[in-house]
Amino acid sequence: MPNDGPSDLGRFAEPALLILVSLADGPKHGYAIMTDVDALGASPIGPGTLYAALARLERRGLIEPLGPEDRRRPYRLTAAGSRALAEHLGEMRRIVQVGHARLRTADG
Amino acid sequence: MSAPGPAITVVLRAYPRGWRERYGAEMSALLAERQPGWRDLLDLARGAIDARLHRLVITPAVLVAAIPRREFAMPAAPRPTYGIVSAPPIGELSRRTFMRRMLGVGAGILALEFLGGTLAFLWPQIRSGLGGKFSVGTLADIVTSQASFANGWPYAVGAARSFLINVPAAKELALGHDVSIPSPAPDQLLALYRKCPHLGCQVPGLCDELKRFTCRCHGSTYNILGEKLKEGPAQRGMDRFAVTVERNGVVVIDTSQYSTGLLDRGDPQYLAFVDAAPYDRKCR
Repeated sequence: MPNDGPSDLGRFAEPALLILVSLADGPKHGYAIMTDVDALGASPIGPGTLYAALARLERRGLIEPLGPEDRRRPYRLTAAGSRALAEHLGEMRRIVQVGHARLRTADG
Repeated sequence: MSAPGPAITVVLRAYPRGWRERYGAEMSALLAERQPGWRDLLDLARGAIDARLHRLVITPAVLVAAIPRREFAMPAAPRPTYGIVSAPPIGELSRRTFMRRMLGVGAGILALEFLGGTLAFLWPQIRSGLGGKFSVGTLADIVTSQASFANGWPYAVGAARSFLINVPAAKELALGHDVSIPSPAPDQLLALYRKCPHLGCQVPGLCDELKRFTCRCHGSTYNILGEKLKEGPAQRGMDRFAVTVERNGVVVIDTSQYSTGLLDRGDPQYLAFVDAAPYDRKCR
């Protein structure tokens, strides 16, 4: 069990995962992450939660801040961050597959 | 509905200083773009609590240069000299620090006293005396010291302020029979509290003529099992303590456990035991 992924962040696990997904296609600043998460159709993240999750991810070295643009600061995924995200998504995929398979056997 | 600016400012101030230095600027930029609602305000407040509870902020070396920092280091003010003393006299402890520490110590002592007092107040206070357990001795001991116990006469236990009653023998005694039951079963023992349930006078011993208890204060009369009879103002029978017989045969009266006597219903048919004397007679 990797203990540096987003899954052990308690109530910040879900926002952290969404942030990692949002940053997967390039650096974004806070507001861009929030709108991106909204666009994903996931439950929206409030600003306090967003920054609490960002600070935790940063502390774990999964994301890193870039130099500020105006007053906004973009963040990008680190190598460790993309590894952790890939691992976590792989785990989720296994769960999804098992779930679908079981649903099919239950139907048939 | 958007939350008012001042409220946002207040909540942002609730974040710890390190956090504000690191994230403050970008958070206000975000909030300026978003036009936060009340839900966001609540979320920020939770974030502030979280940030105060956890040490989350790290400042990577890359960022140190980029962060606009306030200059906190104050130029050292020239120290005033008071007479010949150029520094706080005792070590590095200044008067102000000393007073503050003493205030803290005083508050701590006060808190300890309060805590100790509370605990002492809540502590069970009864370790001996009424409210504790009393070993009366084995049935054989009791019969040795008072042979009439086997014939049903109450055995007075002074410390427990009780009469120990040998129920089967007592019933026979009150019915006028002369029997001897030296070792009644453990559940055939009764401890009657000698405090009259009327106004608390001590109930005297069994009277010879009726084999009843009559309180000298107001004449409340009870049968040999402590049940209230017609005479007297008491509203219920004598209270009873729990009696147990331990494995080694010692009879124990637990005065912390008691049951109040049955209500006086003014009718002999409600009595558990009816003795030989008429219902309305009392000892002289």
